[in-house]
Amino acid sequence: MGEKIAFAVAAVGILGFGIGVVFLKDAFRAAVALIGTLLSVSLLFVILSAPFVAAIQVIVYAGAIVVLFLFVIAYLGDRGVVPGPDRLERFQVFGWLALGGLGAFGAIAILGSSPGPAGEPPAVTDVGSPAAIGHAFLDSYLVPFEATSLVLLVAAVGAVLLAKRAVQLEGGR
Amino acid sequence: MNVPISAYLTLSGALLFLGMLGVMRRRNPLMLLLSVELMLNAGNIVLVGFSREWNDPAGQIFALVVMVVAAAEVVIGLGLVVAVFRSRINLDVDEMSSMRG
Repeated sequence: MGEKIAFAVAAVGILGFGIGVVFLKDAFRAAVALIGTLLSVSLLFVILSAPFVAAIQVIVYAGAIVVLFLFVIAYLGDRGVVPGPDRLERFQVFGWLALGGLGAFGAIAILGSSPGPAGEPPAVTDVGSPAAIGHAFLDSYLVPFEATSLVLLVAAVGAVLLAKRAVQLEGGR
Repeated sequence: MNVPISAYLTLSGALLFLGMLGVMRRRNPLMLLLSVELMLNAGNIVLVGFSREWNDPAGQIFALVVMVVAAAEVVIGLGLVVAVFRSRINLDVDEMSSMRG
């Protein structure tokens, strides 16, 4: 029962703040709404007994990534943003058709599927603890682990190169 | 497991839907990136949900990898936004039609 209440709270938070992210005009407010969505998702991870992923979600997502967003929004301010109508004005019909079709497809897929064999669920062990995650990473998933380090390195070098070129473009320093 | 996996799937689908709506109707590239974050989180919910359903850590591993990729994507995306801003082009994804730096 408590799990269902917590799930309902997290679901309302995710969808409510998500609507805020999509529909708020102000970029700063949308980014703050994203924090609410991310924290609700981390609550969902706690319900799913994945405490390590929940902690990383709060630290990396709601911490680092959103701070990066807020930093850039504060740096740019409202300059450069063209006030104007929706991008969809000309192709609005097709966009809504695609969205509606996708939503209908998902609803059919979920409502039309059988709940699956009702055997006994697998015994719940602590697959979400930091120790289990660490063992899984270093025992079975070493290649993805190393690949992520490469991705981070390439992203850091790319960001520095972008910033350098932008400064050169300004003709300076 | 009290809450069925279909509830998580439905919630994730709704979040993905919201993210797509945001990507389609926003003009500002910053808001596009925010909407992409919503969609990545929808994927993470499904991954962790099935990890719990099948008692397999692989889903959580992949969710963590997705977070790393999201962080890298945000760094590059925001770097591009700042570079575009400095070269005095308006921040409008419809106007950024040139691949030249």
